[in-house]
Order: sequence, then C-alpha cells, then structure tokens
Amino acid sequence: MTVLTERPTAPPSREPRRRATGLLDLVTTTDHKKIGLLYVFTAFGFFLLAGALAEVMRTQLARPNQHLVSAGVYNELFTMHGSIMMFLFIGPMAFGLANYFVPLQIGAPDLSFPRLNAFAYWLYLGGGITMVSGFLTDRGAAAFGWFAYAPLSDAIHSPGAGADLWIVGVALTGVAGTLFGVNLVTTIFTLRAPGMTMLRMPFFTWDMLVASLLVILTFPVVAAAVALLFADRNLGTHFFDATNGGEPILWQHLFWFFGHPEVYIIVLPYFGIVTDVIPVFSRKPIFGYRGMLIATFAIAGLSTGVWAHHMFATGAVLLPFFSALSLLIAVPTGVKFVNWIGTMWRGRLTFETPMLFCIGFLLTFVMGGITGVMLASPPIDFRVTDTYFVVAHMHYVMFGGSVFAMFAGLYYWFPKMSGRRLSERWGKVHFWLLLIGFNLTFFPQHQLGLRGMPRRVDTYGGGRGWSFLNLLSSVGAWLMGVAMLVFIANVWVSIRRGAPAGDDPWEANTLEWATTSPPPEHNFTSLPPIRSDRPLFDGRHPELRP
Amino acid sequence: MLAGRRGRGHDARVLSRAARRVAPAATAAALLALLLTSCSGAAPGTAKGGTSQGRQVDHLFRGFLAVGVVVFAVIWSLVLWSVVRYRRRGRPAPDAVPSQTRGNGPLELVLTALPLGIVAVLFAFTVRTQGQVDRLRPNPDVRIVVTAFQWQWRFHYVKEGITVVGAPDRYPEMVLPLRAKVRLRLESADVIHSFFVPGFLFKRDVIPRVDNEIELDTVKRGRFDGLCAEFCGLDHARMGFTVRVVDRSDYRAWVDREQGKVPA
Repeated sequence: MTVLTERPTAPPSREPRRRATGLLDLVTTTDHKKIGLLYVFTAFGFFLLAGALAEVMRTQLARPNQHLVSAGVYNELFTMHGSIMMFLFIGPMAFGLANYFVPLQIGAPDLSFPRLNAFAYWLYLGGGITMVSGFLTDRGAAAFGWFAYAPLSDAIHSPGAGADLWIVGVALTGVAGTLFGVNLVTTIFTLRAPGMTMLRMPFFTWDMLVASLLVILTFPVVAAAVALLFADRNLGTHFFDATNGGEPILWQHLFWFFGHPEVYIIVLPYFGIVTDVIPVFSRKPIFGYRGMLIATFAIAGLSTGVWAHHMFATGAVLLPFFSALSLLIAVPTGVKFVNWIGTMWRGRLTFETPMLFCIGFLLTFVMGGITGVMLASPPIDFRVTDTYFVVAHMHYVMFGGSVFAMFAGLYYWFPKMSGRRLSERWGKVHFWLLLIGFNLTFFPQHQLGLRGMPRRVDTYGGGRGWSFLNLLSSVGAWLMGVAMLVFIANVWVSIRRGAPAGDDPWEANTLEWATTSPPPEHNFTSLPPIRSDRPLFDGRHPELRP
Repeated sequence: MLAGRRGRGHDARVLSRAARRVAPAATAAALLALLLTSCSGAAPGTAKGGTSQGRQVDHLFRGFLAVGVVVFAVIWSLVLWSVVRYRRRGRPAPDAVPSQTRGNGPLELVLTALPLGIVAVLFAFTVRTQGQVDRLRPNPDVRIVVTAFQWQWRFHYVKEGITVVGAPDRYPEMVLPLRAKVRLRLESADVIHSFFVPGFLFKRDVIPRVDNEIELDTVKRGRFDGLCAEFCGLDHARMGFTVRVVDRSDYRAWVDREQGKVPA
C-alpha cells in the first residue's frame, strides 16, 4: 500500500456554482434520487399508456365478432402493449427504484457513475419516445408482436417506418439498460458503507445486483439482434431472410436468449422488494437469508439456459436439456416461497398496504409458477403454447408477480420519496379492486387457452365456448382500470395533503430508513452501526442483537 | 419476549374478527376453485381427443394439473394460515417482538429436495410422452404436404394427387380416414405460421427453412376446427381450416370424388 507523504490538498475553492432549479434541474441532474424519480414517473407513464392499449383490446374482445378497431390497428395495439410493458415499463421501473434505493440501502452517497446514470436515463426516454412515435407514422406503429419474429418483421411483410422506429427504440433502451447495469454493479461492489458486507445487504440490493448481471449478459444480445434485423430491413443483408439463405429461426434463438433471462430481470427485483417488505411487517428477520441468496443465483444461472422453451412448438429444439433446466427453475422458486412463508410463520403480522400487496403477490404468483412448470414440458406446449393459456401464464408472472410486488414497493417507499404517507384506506380499496380485477381478467384465460383460443386474434366467432369467458376477462380488465384510477388519485392527493411520514414510518430494518424523508442530497449525515442485515432493527432492539 | 397467551374467549373473539377480515380472500379463493374445477369441462362446438398423440398430451397435462392443484392448495393454505394465525392481536407492549428465527437448515434442505423430486418425476413423464408424440414411423397411410401462406392453407395429398386450397369465404377441409397413420409435412411459403388443431391438442410451427414433419393417429370420427396459432400478419385471425375424420370407406369415396374432379 502506498502511503502518501504529503496529503493531497483540496483544489482551490471556487465560487459555489448556482444550482439549477425547476425544469433545468430535472434535465441536468445527476442525483441518483432525482434520476430514480424520473425513471419511476416515466415508467409509470408508459405503464398507463400500455394499460390503455390493453383496455381497448379487451373491449374489442368482450363480445365475438366485434370491430371496435380494425385488424391492423389491433395488431399494432398488442404489439405496442407488449413492447411498452416489457421494454419501457417493468424493467425501467425496477431500474428507477434501484436508482433511488440501492445507494440508500448500502449507505452510499450516489451511484458510481452519476453522469453515466443520467445518460442512461435520457437514452431510455429517447428510446421509449422513438418506439411509441411509430403511432404517428402513416403506416402506424410496429405490428409484428413484441418478439418480432422474422420473416414477418422484414421489410416485405412489415413495411413502414413504425417497425424501424420499434427497432431503434429497442436498441436504445437495450444500451441504456446495459449502461445502468454496469453502473449499479460497480456501485454495489465498491460503494458499500463500512460494515455493510455483501452478506448483510438487503435483498432488494442483492436481487438488483443479480438482475444487473443478467442485464449485462443479455441486453447486448438483443441490441445486436435488432441491429441485424435493421440491416436486413434497410441495408440489404439476409441474416433472417429465408429466400436468400438466411435463417428465420436464428432470430428466435437470439431473441429468446435475451427474452428468457429478461423474465428474471423483470421479476427478480420485485422478488427483492417482497423479501424486504415481508420481514418488516412480520417483525422477524428473513427466514433463510443464505438459502434465499443461493436460490436467487440458481434462478439467474438456470435462466440463461432455458431460452428454447419458448420454441418447443417450432420442433427445432426438442432436446430434453431445455425441458429439464426449465423444470429445475421451479426448485429455487419453491425455496423462495418457503422462505417468504417461513418469515411470516410465528411472526406478528400487520397488514398495511405494502404487506397486503406482498400477500397478493404470493397468492397470484404461485399460479404463474405452476403454469410455468406446465409450459416447461414440450408435449404440453404442443397443446397450449400460443394460446390464451400462455397469455394467462405470463400475466400471472408479470402482473401477479412483478406488478403486485411493484405496488408493494411503491406503497412501502412512497413515504421515503415524498416525505408523506399514502392513504391506507384508499390503498386497501386499490388492493382489493386490483386483486379481484386481475384474477377476473386472467384466470378465465387459462380456460380459453385450453379451449383452443389462440393469442393475438383481433376477433373471434361465437359458438366456440369462448364468448362468456372473454366477457368475464374484459369486465376484469375494466375493473383493473378503475383500480388504477384509485391509485393515481391516492398519489395525487397524498403528495399534497398526506400525513408527514417521518424518517421511519414502518419501523423498518434497512438503511434507507436511517435518513430523512426525503433524504438530503448527500443521503446520510451519519450512519448507524451496521452489524447485521437489519441495522435499524438492531438499533431499536439492542438486546436482541445477534 | 414472546407475546403472552390470552384467555380462550379472547382468542375466539379475535379469530372471528380475523375471519371477517379474511372473508374477501376466502371469497376470492372460492371463486378461483370454482373456475379451476371448470377446467375439465369440454369446449362446445368442436370435438376433442381426436388422435392418440393428443390423448397422450392430455394424460400428461392432467398429471401436471393434478400436481399443480396440490401445490397451489398447499401454498394458499400456508399463506392464508399465516395471515390468520400470526396476525398481530391486541395491543402488545411496544417492545414485544416475536421469536427472531433466522432459518432452519434441515427444514430448508427437505423443502428443497421435495420440489426437486417432484420435477424429476414430471421430467420423466415428459420425456416419455414426448417420445410417443414426436415419433415418426415408416409407411404412413396418408401423406399430406401442408403449405401455409398468408393467410390460407394448401393440403396436398402426395399419393392421391389431391390438392385442397381454401378460399376467402371457405376454410379448406382436410379429410382423414379413421384409425390411420397420417404424416404431415409442414412448409411455409412466406412467414412463420403454426398448424394447430385444438381438438388434437397439438400444434407445430410452420417455419421457412425448417423441415417439420408430424404424425397423427386418428382415433375419433368428427369435425375438428383448425387454425393458425403463430401470429402471421393482418388476417391471422381468419386463417382457419377444418379437419374431418371419416370412416375408411367414406374416405375412399371422398378420394375418388376429388380425383374425378381434377384429372391427373
């Protein structure tokens, strides 16, 4: 170790620069909390947009032979619904929460590369606007489904600028995600406060670390894949063009090599939220910290070797290997359920809104897990893949899982971000409306799939046993729309008139609650001693310290 | 530091209040159970289980479903039990905290091994069924080249020299003899499609440059709806066909009639 003989002196003091305020501040800020909020608000805006598209689709499908929108517009709607949800909402929402809370959870003043952080956010916003702007072109937005299978996505079968804008949007958000991932991994490895060893990190931080590693592994792949697609469409190459020796199926391999880890990129952070919230409202430490950690790494590891289970019906990848690895993912996921339930077991549970959403998460996500095991079996895929069964499955994973946990996180952290509390009463109304609406929307879709209704049809004929289930599903979707309005109203009112939150309204465990709400620009004036994964609990209960 | 025990009467009161709080959850659970049991109901309008391969898939699906229902019930019971039993009752002293259990190694190991065992069994059955369903045997009774294109199907009977093509107002019909070994060769003329007959519980994608052949053993007479299951553009929703499985004598008559229509 080098010992400096002369201490470096501080640079000559300058006039303190005048701080930008208002809009200029938002555009130029490198503060991780402000960027985090930008991400959260932007992602939520995209969530509302994609949700509105879904409401139009469900309204069209409420009755057979209904033509509220034309087939072409319907195809744009489901393509953009899926693309916005996957690329612009659910991942970036996790990135936003991580932006805000990972530095706070590990006692850091900011991310490692604040300017890179700002750059990544603006790339993401630019990519998002680019993708959505397809709606403004004369041929409309992309209309080839969110996984853009070649050759349907080539220049002959999908002409028009909307498709190119989609490609550029995916590439930009892919690069933005990669930059964010690198930034977050560096932060977690290098900026932890004294005492914050890796094995004392809160689970949201752990899960974001693992998700970021998956981002670094797979986002460059999708960015490269769409670059090839762009070249096929605009530069005369033939990577995926079957008529000139290209391989359409290559696109599926490239896309799903990104696409399946992506599922865990968007679900692991939300597992992390649940794993942080349940102990707080159970007044117990997480049950089996290390088991949970091993399960997280096992899920991430396995997720990189299961992409072909999206392709069983192609007949090109019917290897038992992919089926075995896909089935194995159920094991670490089961371990997580054991740990979550074990944490609540013999606890002292209270049901504030964040905890309600966690319980909603446990009850709905298990359904997605079970149908996921079914879909890991190729013969069952022969029956149900590309039907509404899969639509139901993935919404149970991504909405019943990720979105319920996201709401748990938003209710949990809203006091920290705003300094005020959300209304508990309206939070509960929101929860019950969403839980009932969600199950009403998606549970009947399992049965629709088993009755042979394919996904991505703009309408259907009557007399096939699909009509009533579709109506149920649409009623559920409208109910979910009402639930979202309740949430927005709650936020709108609480930001202005909510009760002051104080530093630690939940009697929580982790470091983000050791500072003021909202935290000052440098985050912490002082840190409590960190001797376990629950420094604040240790402070409240010195007699119970391990 | 554990919360002190209270009298029975108090417990009962608390439990009834807890039950009231949990009532909506119980309603939701009942609704789910109702919908879950409705899963076995047959869809009207189209026949089911038309091929032996489809029946194999159905058996496997039912096995997975049975395991799934058990797992679902166990998880729901444990979560709801925790919610009811371990909810905070009364007003304990501010410093009263439950026992701070941090884990239970042996229990966690057992509960890791258990799902491992379950998926191992599921995997074994998967491999067996896949072998049965995906098998191609020599000398099929009927060979048909299925060509999918935007947004229609063409069925070409290789030996018989018959070609069936749909029209915008009429779905093409594939006529198959009962109790026959049918070999389908799937070819795409443009983008990816998927040959899906819900009543056969089977689909296979039709992909340019991928040689896909499937075999179907027809075991049930009837009319089966078919459709394209892979999104293929504007009229994807209207790319249907029908499969009609008829007795062998009727099949011969149909072949003769079709061959008479189109002189070789």
